[in-house]
Amino acid sequence: MSCADSNPATIPTPCVDIQGDGRWMSLHNRFVSDSKDKEPDVLFVGDSLVQLLQQFEVWRDLFSPLHALNFGVGGDATQHVLWRLSNGELDHISPKVVVLWVGTNNHGHTPEQICEGIIAIARLISNKLLHAHTLILGLLPRGEIPNTLRDRNAKVNELLQQAVPSLPRASYLSVDRGFVQSNGKISHQDMYDYLHLTPQGYHNVCKPVHDAITHLLEKRGEN
Amino acid sequence: MNSEDGNPAAVPVAVQDTQGDQRWMSQHNRFVQECKDAEPDVLFVGDSMVQLMQQYEVWRELFSPLHALNFGVAGDTTCNVLWRLQNGELQNIRPKVVVVWVGTNNYEHTAEQVAGGILSIVHLLITQFPQAKIVVLGLLPRGERPNPLREKNASVNGILRSSLARLSAAQFLDVGGGFVHSDGTIATRDMFDFLHLTASGYRAVAKPLSDLLLQLLEETPEERRASLV
Ligand SMILES: [Ca+2]
Repeated sequence: MSCADSNPATIPTPCVDIQGDGRWMSLHNRFVSDSKDKEPDVLFVGDSLVQLLQQFEVWRDLFSPLHALNFGVGGDATQHVLWRLSNGELDHISPKVVVLWVGTNNHGHTPEQICEGIIAIARLISNKLLHAHTLILGLLPRGEIPNTLRDRNAKVNELLQQAVPSLPRASYLSVDRGFVQSNGKISHQDMYDYLHLTPQGYHNVCKPVHDAITHLLEKRGEN
Repeated sequence: MNSEDGNPAAVPVAVQDTQGDQRWMSQHNRFVQECKDAEPDVLFVGDSMVQLMQQYEVWRELFSPLHALNFGVAGDTTCNVLWRLQNGELQNIRPKVVVVWVGTNNYEHTAEQVAGGILSIVHLLITQFPQAKIVVLGLLPRGERPNPLREKNASVNGILRSSLARLSAAQFLDVGGGFVHSDGTIATRDMFDFLHLTASGYRAVAKPLSDLLLQLLEETPEERRASLV
């Protein structure tokens, strides 16, 4: 991946505070200080799909009991997650499993660039956390009706499935449990704004994620 | 309201689909369709603060039983809400109460302009629903620490409080009282990203709002007319 240097999705970039309330950096600082106080076995990293997960019952039901921390920030693209993880969020913890879910906000990037961005995050995680396994979640389809971003996200997933097996201590998990109905539509019962998941949508996604995490944790326990 | 002429926050604007999945228009079209299928007594219009409320238990507990519809779209400004309301979201319904909660996303506008934009939404609603009561929720403080957007939102609220006092059909409800702690910070247990509310943050907001809605729904239009005489 020698061309990665010119790929904006792989260049660690802090979010510029164009709004004026400093929320992005506040969240990053919060995560860094959380990581000093806690000893998570599982770490979730990503964008709003990770962040909102913590707001619903399913987080307390399935993931809190696994000693999970949530470092999701709404709107983040791969380059923003790269910056956060390069700047303190991984320095004080040693989780056994890292769940990585990001990429749908990489607007203006090609599927190849987005895939490289996700792979770059996974490599950073495996360099910083020598005992962690990274579970990379596939991007979800989006938009009520078929559209270019659905095609883009599907292509990213295809590329990830090819690239992830060659990574150390990483695996890919598709979490699209039939969100696109036979008429090509996504229901607002699953994604209330055709992007973010409802509690029902999260329920469908989280069962396989939980199964995969517990399997990884058990495997670790045997070693 | 001639003063609203020339206010960029009072100009109806459709969101451009820069991302490429047309989600904004899909949501608008769904709301227009819901107007044809439902007979809401209460209508919520606004941005993500309105939209996200429907994803929490508190919506089913306190607002669904009031026959409420939720027309919240994340990221919307007063301009975007104005466009939606002028393009079908008020057709085929006759709500008794409309709750308006928008303005914190109007980054390019001054406090005066934002308040003017909210007031033009209120005037549109009064024109469309002469029998309805309008509740305008105050903008919440935001950001972990004191910052210019908190000050701006507070200024918007100050203008709204005095402007809405002059309108018999509308009233202002400030639900942001408890979020800023004595050290000036906002906690993630109330606002998970220092802007959007957690389930417990919504609880604090929803109780006074629900009480007011119940009170407004009990007052029949006849009683209201009598009280105005
Ligand atoms: Ca009034």
